Amino acid sequence: MSEPVLRIERLTKVYPDGTRALSDVSFEVARGEFVVIIGLSGSGKSTLLRCINRLVEPTSGRIVFEGRDVTAASRQELREIRRRIGMIFQQFNLVRRASVLTNVLSGRLGYLPPSWALANYFPGPLVQQALANLERVGIPEKAAARADTLSGGQQQRVGIARALMQEPRLILADEPVASLDPAMSHSVLRYIEELNRKDGITVLCSLHFLSLARRYGTRILALRAGELVFDGLPREIDEARFRGIYGEEAVAVEIG
Amino acid sequence: MALEEANLRPAPRARPAVWYRSWRFYAGCAVVLLVYGYGWRITQIHLAELWRGARLIEPFVVALSSPDILTREPRTEGASAPFYYGGQAPPAPPTPSGPRLVLSPRTGPIGTRIRAEGRGFAPGRPGVLWWENQIGQRQQVASFVTDSQGRFAVGFTAPPAQGTRNLVVAEVTTGAGPLRPSPTLVVVVDRMIETIFLALMGTTMGVLFAVPLSFLGARNLTSHVPGGGVVYALTRACFNLTRSIEALVLAIIFTVWVGLGPFAGVLALGVHSIAALGKLYSEAIESIDRGPIEAITATGASPLQVVRYAVVPQIVPQFIAFTIYRWDINVRFSTVIGFVGGGGIGFVLQQYINLLQWRQAATALWMIAIVVALLDYASAVVRERIV
Ligand SMILES: Nc1ncnc2c1ncn2[C@@H]1O[C@H](COP(=O)(O)OP(=O)(O)OP(=O)(O)O)[C@@H](O)[C@H]1O
Ligand SMILES: [Mg+2]
Repeated sequence: MSEPVLRIERLTKVYPDGTRALSDVSFEVARGEFVVIIGLSGSGKSTLLRCINRLVEPTSGRIVFEGRDVTAASRQELREIRRRIGMIFQQFNLVRRASVLTNVLSGRLGYLPPSWALANYFPGPLVQQALANLERVGIPEKAAARADTLSGGQQQRVGIARALMQEPRLILADEPVASLDPAMSHSVLRYIEELNRKDGITVLCSLHFLSLARRYGTRILALRAGELVFDGLPREIDEARFRGIYGEEAVAVEIG
Repeated sequence: MALEEANLRPAPRARPAVWYRSWRFYAGCAVVLLVYGYGWRITQIHLAELWRGARLIEPFVVALSSPDILTREPRTEGASAPFYYGGQAPPAPPTPSGPRLVLSPRTGPIGTRIRAEGRGFAPGRPGVLWWENQIGQRQQVASFVTDSQGRFAVGFTAPPAQGTRNLVVAEVTTGAGPLRPSPTLVVVVDRMIETIFLALMGTTMGVLFAVPLSFLGARNLTSHVPGGGVVYALTRACFNLTRSIEALVLAIIFTVWVGLGPFAGVLALGVHSIAALGKLYSEAIESIDRGPIEAITATGASPLQVVRYAVVPQIVPQFIAFTIYRWDINVRFSTVIGFVGGGGIGFVLQQYINLLQWRQAATALWMIAIVVALLDYASAVVRERIV
């Protein structure tokens, strides 16, 4: 097997208030995988994803992305690493007052000279690319609309288009469908799946519902109280494993 | 099921006392009566004064319907002739075409009887004869009416005056001139412009200082920095203290500091605006959504880009709305800041009122009402567009 896209070694995160959100987590992600992270609320899923692009500063351990050490990267290197890692959020995190097009274009900022920001300048070919990405997620007609006039599902697709502008090797998705209804959830996850299959973008995605994890993941990681308790194929999660991850009282909920 | 049943049965409650049986009700009534009775006395409310004083304010109310806006300046024609004190006769004036004035004698001591004859004026018109001394001060020495040929002749006594060279001027009113803005209107417009610019400069000063200060007064920005809590608390305390001092009081202080005039007004408005805007801006920054900041940071953007694309879009509309709102208040306020010598239209308005020049006061009042209402409307439109 070739060099993994992502290698996590003994990652630990302790928040300033003493919360141990991740302890000693290690795994590797190969190119083209669709890895789903599951776990109870508070088990450390968001913390893990945010450590990877250092939105959250890890306490100890090493993260290697495409052979580059993220944890030791300087500011400039970190910018270069970040622009190859797209991120999709549960709350979409669009700039609500800005147009959809501006939101999509902002995904490209990591490649542009900062001074262009003062004039709000984006080169023409980038605008074309942004429009093409909007077309790809099925909302080309919304380019001029203000982001906050869109429905949740549409906003999340803008979020995907924004990540696409980065031409990422890896997409981190933190519960991308937790704010959406079941039909919308499938629609959004299918777009992410398409990026994974067609463009070969590696995906690391946390999900709440095991049914969704089984349907879209090629591999599942499970966290429990900050520890990695399962790493395997979706079909390997049986009743006993399920209780091990979610606790004794848990009942599997199916989502359409 | 059990839950539903419980909901159907209302919880047993103590029967409330009927309000008119409660002693608290009567005690409350007594307290309210006491407070307002005392308030009535202490603020010296005499409703009868409203009726008795009405006639004093009546000329003003009448004047409101006839503000001093336009005048017709009388059209005049004139001629002049020199008169010297002290024996030396003035050089003979060149004979002009049109109206002419001839004096006899043309020289003499103070108190000389002088006869003035004029010709070539408009016929059958009233006129005035002026005595103008060497430094241009005028006094009226006679009045006359021209005859059917446009001539007149009057006698008068040379008045006591300093200097030797005097000029006698005959001025005949030939008719009413065109409608013109009255001198009052000119003054009022001039002061209104000063007022508007006073508000503009005050607001600008407020914005320039409040924008950077507001970042120090925002908890979400200061909490990450060591010592930020102290900076935050200090900034907020300054805002609140300054805001609690009325701008009128600040204006009085600044007139002592920099002297009477609009500059004192600008400073007073500016300082008050810094505090008021600073607080509003800080709160706008505190209500900012962190999500977009994280999202833009995650794309590899630099701090400058993050500010431009994640912070600025969130705060600018609110900043603009607050600024327009403040400008509104400042225009209103700058109309009275003149009362304490801070410049603007308030200064002339106060003068007119003190001199009982009601028509002039009415002009100033109308001007304030119209301009403030217009700016109010304009800013409401702009604000609606932005927010
Ligand atoms: N900024 C923070 N400061 C302190 N503790 C934090 C912080 N963020 C998260 N935590 C704690 O770290 C633990 C893991 O949180 P995390 O958000 O990673 O969980 P999660 O699996 O994403 O949960 P959820 O499904 O609710 O999003 C929790 O106990 C949480 O309370
Ligand atoms: Mg989370």
